Order: sequence, then C-alpha cells, then structure tokens
Amino acid sequence: MLAGTFAIIFRMNTHDVSHIRNFSIVAHIDHGKSTISDRILELTHTVEDRDLSTQMLDSMDIERERGITIKSNAVRVSYDADDGDSYQFNLIDTPGHVDFTYEVSRSLAACEGAVLVVDATQGVEAQTVSNATLAMNAGLDIVPAINKIDLPSAHPDEVKDEIEEELAIPADDAVLVSGKTGEGIHDLLEAIVYLVSPPAGDAAAPLKALILDSYFDEYRGVIATVRVFDGSIRKGDQLRMMALGDGFLCDGVGCKRPGETMVDALSVGEVGFVVTGLKDTALVKTGDTITSATRPCAQACPGYQDAKPMVYTGLFPIDNKQYENLRDALEKLRVNDPSLVWSPETSVALGFGFRVGFLGLLHMEVVKERLEREFGLDLIATSPSVNYHVFLTDGSELAITSPQDLPDVTRIDRIEEPYLAAKVIVPPEHMGAVMQLAIEHRGITKDMVYLSEKSVEIHFDIPLAELILDFFDQLKSRTKGYASLDYEMADYRPSDLVKLDILLAGDEVDAFSFIVHKDKAYALARGLCDKLKEIIPRQQFEVPIQGAIGNKIISRSTVRAVRKDVLAKCYGGDISRKRKLLEKQKEGKRRMKAIGSVDVPQEAFLAVLKVGDE
Amino acid sequence: MSDGARDPTRENPPSVSALYLHVPFCARRCLYCDFPTRAARADDELLVAYARALRLQLAELTSLGLLEGVRTAYLGGGTPSFLGPKTLGSLVATVHRACPALAELSCEANPDSLGDELLAKLADGGVTRVSVGVQSLDDAELAALGRAHGAPQARERLSAAVKSGLLVSCDLMCAIPLQTERSWRATLAGVIDAGVGHVSVYPLQIEESSAFGRRYVHAEAAFNDPDVQAARMLEAEGALGAAGLVRYEVASYARPGEACAHNLAYWTGRPYLGLGTGAAGMLDARGYARLSVVAPQLPKLPANITRVRLTVTSSPRAVALRPRLRDLSCDLEFLTADQALCEDLMLAARTSAGLGAPLLERARERLGARRLDACLGRVLRRGLVTSRPDGALAPTRRGWLQGNELYGELWGLHEGEVLGARC
Repeated sequence: MLAGTFAIIFRMNTHDVSHIRNFSIVAHIDHGKSTISDRILELTHTVEDRDLSTQMLDSMDIERERGITIKSNAVRVSYDADDGDSYQFNLIDTPGHVDFTYEVSRSLAACEGAVLVVDATQGVEAQTVSNATLAMNAGLDIVPAINKIDLPSAHPDEVKDEIEEELAIPADDAVLVSGKTGEGIHDLLEAIVYLVSPPAGDAAAPLKALILDSYFDEYRGVIATVRVFDGSIRKGDQLRMMALGDGFLCDGVGCKRPGETMVDALSVGEVGFVVTGLKDTALVKTGDTITSATRPCAQACPGYQDAKPMVYTGLFPIDNKQYENLRDALEKLRVNDPSLVWSPETSVALGFGFRVGFLGLLHMEVVKERLEREFGLDLIATSPSVNYHVFLTDGSELAITSPQDLPDVTRIDRIEEPYLAAKVIVPPEHMGAVMQLAIEHRGITKDMVYLSEKSVEIHFDIPLAELILDFFDQLKSRTKGYASLDYEMADYRPSDLVKLDILLAGDEVDAFSFIVHKDKAYALARGLCDKLKEIIPRQQFEVPIQGAIGNKIISRSTVRAVRKDVLAKCYGGDISRKRKLLEKQKEGKRRMKAIGSVDVPQEAFLAVLKVGDE
Repeated sequence: MSDGARDPTRENPPSVSALYLHVPFCARRCLYCDFPTRAARADDELLVAYARALRLQLAELTSLGLLEGVRTAYLGGGTPSFLGPKTLGSLVATVHRACPALAELSCEANPDSLGDELLAKLADGGVTRVSVGVQSLDDAELAALGRAHGAPQARERLSAAVKSGLLVSCDLMCAIPLQTERSWRATLAGVIDAGVGHVSVYPLQIEESSAFGRRYVHAEAAFNDPDVQAARMLEAEGALGAAGLVRYEVASYARPGEACAHNLAYWTGRPYLGLGTGAAGMLDARGYARLSVVAPQLPKLPANITRVRLTVTSSPRAVALRPRLRDLSCDLEFLTADQALCEDLMLAARTSAGLGAPLLERARERLGARRLDACLGRVLRRGLVTSRPDGALAPTRRGWLQGNELYGELWGLHEGEVLGARC
C-alpha cells in the first residue's frame, strides 16, 4: 500500500495529461449516484470501508438530509487500470437544483465526461433526461451506466433501448453495475479510462484556472476549488483573479482524496484547490478565472457571471432580542456564501430584521434553515420579492425590493419588473402543460424547437416574480418531473402592478404585503384571507382579515372569537399535569408573533409564500 | 371546610391535611380515558393485594405521626367501588383508624359497581360522601363513551345513594359524542331530580393517548368544539344554579354546605399525601423531611425549595409486591417559595372565592407590586376576573370559560424552571 502511494505521487508529478480523467456523475434522484460515488472511492482505496459514511461527497448536514448538493465538490482518486497504468480521476459533484444552475454549468465546464447513471428497474426518468441534456450541451463524453442490476426486477436490456431512444446516446456497451454489491464498478472505471477524453491544454502556456467553488477556512482564508486549463499553479506563485482583479500570493495547492492533501503543483488538466489567503469570500467567485499576475493569459474562461441575488425576503427574529445574533449569523454564513447580501429592514409588525437577497427560493430556504438550526434563531420570512424599478411622476427613479418601500400610488408613473428569458426542455406530450403554466404565470412564449422526437425546447419570457414563488415546483409536478428549466435575466418591462395589503383586525400587516399584477390581486387576496383564517387560531376577540389595494377592501374573512378553552380534569389533585398544560400553551404562544393584539403563528408567514399553489 | 380558628392544630399546623388514595382498577377502560387505571377482573387477586398494600402504607405513615392532622380523605380512581364491599370496607376502616381527625371521607363509585351492600358498608364505615361517575343519562351517549352502565341503572343507583343518607355527588361530561343541547338538559335535570347535592361538570377532553385520541386525531370532532363546550358549561351553570347548586370551583357545583372540602384543599395550597399508582401529593419542606425518614429513596431537598409535588410511578403490581414506602418510585417536582405562591394564585383562580386579599397581599410582598399589578391589570382588562368589595379578585364568566388564559397569566408570574427529579 505504502509503495503504491509513492508510485502514484511520482506519477502525479509527471503531469501526464493523458492519464487524467475529469468527470461528473449525473442521475435521476435515487438512481444511485451517491452509492456509486462511494463505491468508486472504496474500490480505488481512496477511503477505507470503515470511513465510508453514506454520501461521502455531500458534507453539509442539510445537504445530506435533503439529499441535495448545494456546494460543488471535487475528489481525486487514483486508479490502477488494467492496462498497467495509473490514472488520476477527478470526480466532480455538482449542485442539483435550478437555483444553482450557474454553479452546475461551471462544474460541468470543468469536466470532459459524465457518467450517466440509470436505474435498471426504473429506466430513464425525468431528471435522467434533463441532466443528460445538460451534460451533452456542455459537450461531455457520456458513459452510460445501468445501476441496481442486483435487483430481481432489473431489466437492463430494455433500459439500454430507452437510453438510445430517449437520449440518443449509444448504450450498447453501457456498463452494468450494482452500487450495492460493487459488481461492475471495475468495468465502469475502465470505461471511464477509455470513453472520457483526457483534458486538452498547454502546460507551457500562461496559467488559466476556472474557479468551481470556494469556501472559507478560518486559518487559511478563502480556498478555491479550481480546474487548471493551461499552465500550472505552485505555492508561492503571484496570482490574480481575472474578473474581479484582486491579486494574491498562492499559499499552497492540493486536492481532496477525500481529505485535504497538499501537492507540489496543480498542473494542466488537474482539479484541486488553491489556498488564496484572501480573507473575503466575495473576492473569490465561482466562474472567475485565476491567472498568473506576472504572466497573465490572454483570455479568461468563458461564461463568468456575477452571482446576483434574484429573490429578496425580509428575515425577522421572532424574539427581537435576537436581532444582533441574526446579524452575526448572517455574517458568519456569508463567509462561505458570498452570494448572500442583506441590509437592515424595519417592519411595523415584525420589528427589526434584514432584507436578504438570495439566488433563488431553495437558496432562501436553505439559508433560513441553517440560521435556525446552526445558530438557534427563530425566524419569520416575509413573502419574497424581486427588484422593481419604480418611475415616479416627478421623473425620478427608485429601485425597491420590498413592498413596504413602494411609494403612494399617486406618485407612481409606472413600475417595471425584471423579466427572464426561460428555456424549458420537455417531452412533446407535456408541451401543453408547460405552455399553460407559462400563460398562468404571465409568460410570453417566443418559440419552440424540436430537439428530437422525444424532446422540445420551449422559449418564453416570464416575469421573475412569477418564477420565484412556485413555478419550478409546478413545472416539475405538471410534467411529471420531465421538464428541465434554464433561465437568464432578460430585461425590465413595465407591468400593471399593485400593492396588496392584508389587514388583521383593521391594522395593516406590512409583513403580509405583496406587489402583484393587478389581474391576479383579487384571487390572491381571497386566497390569502381564506388561508390566514385557517391558520390564525381563535383569539379572545373576533379578528377580521381583509385584503386591500390602497383604501379599497377586496376580500374579507373572519376568525371567530374563542369562547372556551381546555379544562383539564384535575383528578386526585394532579396539579403538575395542569401546570404542564399551561406551559405547553405558553410555549405555543411563544412560537407565535403578536401583531397588534393578534397572535399569529409562524406558519401564517410560510403560508403566504405558498398561497399561489392552490 | 372547618373554620381555621377552631382548628386545634392551628398553633403547629399539620404537615399533611388531606389524603388521597388511588385505586387504579376498572371493570373496563372508557374510550376517553388516559388516567392511570386498567381494566381488571373483579376476582383478580391483585385487587386485594393492592388494597392491602395501601393499608400497610397507611400504617407506616401512622407510626410516623404524619396523618394526625388529616381532615379530609378521598378514595379515587379508577373505580374504588370495583374493589367490592369487603376489600373497600377494610380500606375505609383503615383510613379512619389512621386519620383520627378525619372530618370528611369521599369515595368514588361507578353505578355498575355501587350495589346496596357496598352502599351500606360505606355509610356504616364512616364514608361521608360518595361521588358517582354518571357522566350522562342517555344510553346512546354512555355507549359511545364506552361506559359500563346504562342510564336507568345510573338513575336508580343515584336515588339509592341519596336514600342511604350519604352526601351524593355525581360527575357529568359535556361536549361528548351524540350529545345534543336537549339531551344535556335532560341529563342535568335527571341528576337534579335524583336529589344529589353536588355535581362536577367536565367538558370531554380528547387526550392523545386515549382511544378517542387515536380515533379523532385526524378528524375534527364537532361535538367537542370549544363553542359547544362553552354552551354546555353555561347551560350547566344555569340549570344547576336554578336548582340551588352553586358553583364554587370551575367544574364543581354544590348546595350550600355540601362543597367537597377535600377538593378545596387542592385549590388552597394545603399539603396532601397521595398513595397508590399515579397518586399525586404535595408536601411542604417539613412534611417532605418527615416522609423522607421512611422513604430514604427520596432525593435530598434542594436549597430554597418550599414545596414538593410527588406522583407515585410504581405499577399496581409493584405496589402490591413491595408495599413499603421505601420501595415506591416517584416523579418529583421542587418549587421555590415564589413558584409555590404562583401556583397558589393559579389554583385560587379556579374557585369562586378567587384570589383573596391576604393571598394577594402575600403575592405583592413576594413578587413585587409592579410585577403582580401588571399581571392583575391584564386579567382585569381582559375581563377574566372582577374585583370584589372585600378586595378579592373572582373569576368572571369569561374567566370560568377561558380559565387557561387566566391560570396561564398567574402561573406565568413565576421565574425559572420547576426543578424535576425521579426516584
């Protein structure tokens, strides 16, 4: 074992690009991507059996629990192939959600190949199609692998046909594997050697390295995960970020196996990490290119975008005493998540909090959950909003991200909202459902292109505000998961938008306000009033709930007053039980937010986010 | 309740002034029940062994002198009458022997096990009150609750109990399945006609761990809606009041002079002992120290604790097999003086006497005027209590119906967690 390790290190130092394979594994959920990753680590002795926790590559708790990958991750393994040579494999894990499309595209840009895992019992499914499409569009060599062949219900031959028919990927020599038993993993590794192209690139050219991801290390500063396209990086090199322009001294390079291992150099074609020594993650952005400060490359890697927040929401501590803690927690999170931006916000109903910008709704949920779980905060999130441009009658312009900031209607000339150019790829039988969904969300269909008999690409423009609430979930459910969505910012367009307010017991609750298209305001107001009526518990007095645009009430419901509460029988003088009941009741109230004289449970704020569903 | 001034133990108040004995056996388990009780056969040897164990425990306490000041005792369940005349009779006799100052002895009974022989035995043995678990006088409702008796038997047994010369109470439940406004009125009228002098009225509470809890966990039970409960409680207050039964506690109505003194002990902060599986007791520091002599397993009293609440957690079989007090398992709660006072405020708010001026004075002193008055201001403003000329604060109709709001406010005055322990 020891001798083998030395041999590998020796080989690595030879920078033999022809012996490097950079690839991702893509699959429909539960088709076995993680077990196959684990098996590869095991078979290549990258980790010993006893170190294998399931899903080695997803390190964050929330990632494991939700079964989603949020941060990109790259692991290097050494594989002694049957041809007698040792190969360097870089297994690059990619985020799996549309909020992180940009990160996915950067991760795929770092690969030459992708292992497409298909369940031998389930066959090609929705995400198989969308993920394979992404990989093919990125120009990767596809290695089809049919997993779970140990199951009695496995039908690999039919699955091969499906892969060929539905994805137009030759599947005759698809590798048959079982992540569970380990059968076929060796064949898969051999297939990767033969089917995935070695990286191209010029070792002698000036350094060009793409940043796939970054994270913050307390002792060493920001660490960037990179793919080297030209040249090499060594400790002590003077380097520079091409888009953001900051220079730094390379404090070391290494790779993950899966624990951090320092190496002498990251050479052309290799994937690894660079210790930048920079103290601010905002200076190290996914998609940026690292080059030499003294001998820069002529052109950066293509496709860099500044990750701009798309969605804004107010985050308020239920207990106002937690305001400072919330600020500290946000600052700590930002260290590893530079896309997080915020500014202080005050709400009449909720007190002091922050307006926080996110990449998308999932990003928002993940951040909120981390704040609550890792920092022990109880938070209320208000309804998400986008960045609106408000043109006032006096000729001035205002950018707002919160309904509260919308000026009085008499001062507004017009409001413009951000539109996206969206692209959906879907099997033709679901085309109607997608068009319908787009229309319901104020989308404007531009055109449709048949990519094959089995897939159509639909282009439409859609207001971002429509997309952030539940569009993606709806799209997945209405197309049985077959649609893939991709979008980019298009432009700002004028829209007939109004501010919808909700009044509880006659008082406007700013946290419930929405900016909404006029045509949708009535239905939304009705939906909100009904929903809140269900959620707000009966109080000591009757609570009218009203929806209003300006001074005009457009919907109404009422929470009846409570007349009677629980009278627990105090049998045999068991006072403890009675007291515990009161404590429980108090705990229930503590989880509620008193707005004026009305106790509003947290679910009410969540429900407002979901009201569009029904 | 006897006048405190005439109480011979006034100078050196007793450690324990009330005694509760729990009989955790029933003919069958009712569908709503989550009490510590179990269905048993009437000839189960465990019943006799368990009763014998309680008698041994009483003897142990007598030898300590802990029961000398006991004025009231209560045999509850479960179904004490299920023990039968012989076993129950000897238990009652032991209670009397153990508590020389006893002025009131109540016993719970169910109509189906309250035979003439048992009634006679209770009356002769010195039981002063019998509390009959009637619940309803409608056959369909009784069946829906899973009760073992029917309405005719309940009426007949109530009358027999009244004729026996005992003070008779009966328990009723409202907001139960199948109950209508009309059937509820008929049930109230029926027990009034039977001549009972005391009625307890409880709205059905659907407990998670009961059969009803499982049945109604996903279904909204319209019969149990808080509005229905309120309407039924108001109906009961009206009907019973018209018949001369005055509400003296949130769930209890009595003819003048027939209030249950034992029950009042719970609400007025008097120490009591509870024996038997699931029985609850409350002791002051002195009483706890004295009990610890025969029950060395009890943890040492933590600093600054003035009140201890104990619940026996030994199973009936464990009690029967190892009756010595030193062998009992308990859950304990230790309350500071402030916490005990807040409890007293909360419990007093359950009674029509309410928060008396002396109690309020004590609270003002201990908790600080600002803290107390802010809280009293809130409950007054919300109409949960009203101020009486003698300075007491008594629950209003709203205070009766929304007791938890009121009790929650008063208990909410305490600071810190209540310290728990287990032995």
